[in-house]
Amino acid sequence: MAVRPILLYPDPMLKQVAKSVEELDETVVAVVQDLVDTMIDAGHSVGVAAPQIGVLRRVVVVDVSKSKLGKENNHGLLEMVNPEIIEKSGSTTMREGCMSVPDYTGNVTRPDHIVVEFTDRTGQLRVIEATGFEAVAIQHELDHLDGMLFLDRVSSLKTDLYRRKGK
Amino acid sequence: MNHFALTIVGRDRPGIVSQVTKILFNQGCNLADSSCSILGGQFAMILILGHPEFTNLESFGEAFKPLQETDLTVALRVLKPGGQTRSQIEGDICMISVYGSDKPGIVYRVAEVLGEKQVNITDLNTKLVGTEERPVYVMVIEAALPEGVEEEDVNGWLAPIRDDLQIDITVRIIPTVEL
Repeated sequence: MAVRPILLYPDPMLKQVAKSVEELDETVVAVVQDLVDTMIDAGHSVGVAAPQIGVLRRVVVVDVSKSKLGKENNHGLLEMVNPEIIEKSGSTTMREGCMSVPDYTGNVTRPDHIVVEFTDRTGQLRVIEATGFEAVAIQHELDHLDGMLFLDRVSSLKTDLYRRKGK
Repeated sequence: MNHFALTIVGRDRPGIVSQVTKILFNQGCNLADSSCSILGGQFAMILILGHPEFTNLESFGEAFKPLQETDLTVALRVLKPGGQTRSQIEGDICMISVYGSDKPGIVYRVAEVLGEKQVNITDLNTKLVGTEERPVYVMVIEAALPEGVEEEDVNGWLAPIRDDLQIDITVRIIPTVEL
């Protein structure tokens, strides 16, 4: 149980591909808990991926239930080990910001409907269907597992990339 | 560090960017924000750059001469201190798509309303598409809305122009999300 510092780009860890979890042991559960603690500590951000706290394993947590855009449509706290998107459709554009790339936001277009398969912290295999903001948040966090930042997905820097307004 | 805005326009061909940036690099300039695009048959570059010593156009000496000799038009604006940094832009980001058969006044009529309502246009692109017989004008605007302004408000403001000019206008807010 610990709040861990969020790594900031250009930390090289953020550009690496995280390894699959082979065995769901207590070290994995500890990572899940650290991610939850870190997410809540960061003013209840909507998600954190393990590489953002310096752990190169395929684990993310997402919870959009506390946010304005996601509170009507969500699965609550999702603790995802080895998450895999198995279906996607539709398209939505949001101006994304990332805790690892402070002060900038950029327009990113992503599918707005996904089906994602993952193992939860108890070892249960789960498949959920997410839409809207929750779908975007999950995809943003999953990108971190492949060393992708939202900067890899903005289509144009023209004005796509803005300094974010101060918190 | 002194800052400048440099604009370069000329008939499009491969190699303009390398020709320009090689000169700027050799002069010891730092490029900050820039936007370069094909407009019609022209390639247009707008660059904000800094230099530790240069203070005015004369400082650059004959550096831009090779560009002018290859038929590129060069203009340099000396920025006042602080002119290189963007002021904080608040408010929701909104995309406005406008299109219809080409006629005079589309850009002006839309911009006039947005200006009156204190909407800050942060990006605007227009393109003439379609065929010669049926030209279609397309404009895409990105703008920052004043506090409290909603999508419906912008739609309402633009509705009279939509009817007047027989053009299509769609407005959509791009939600800003912290992830």
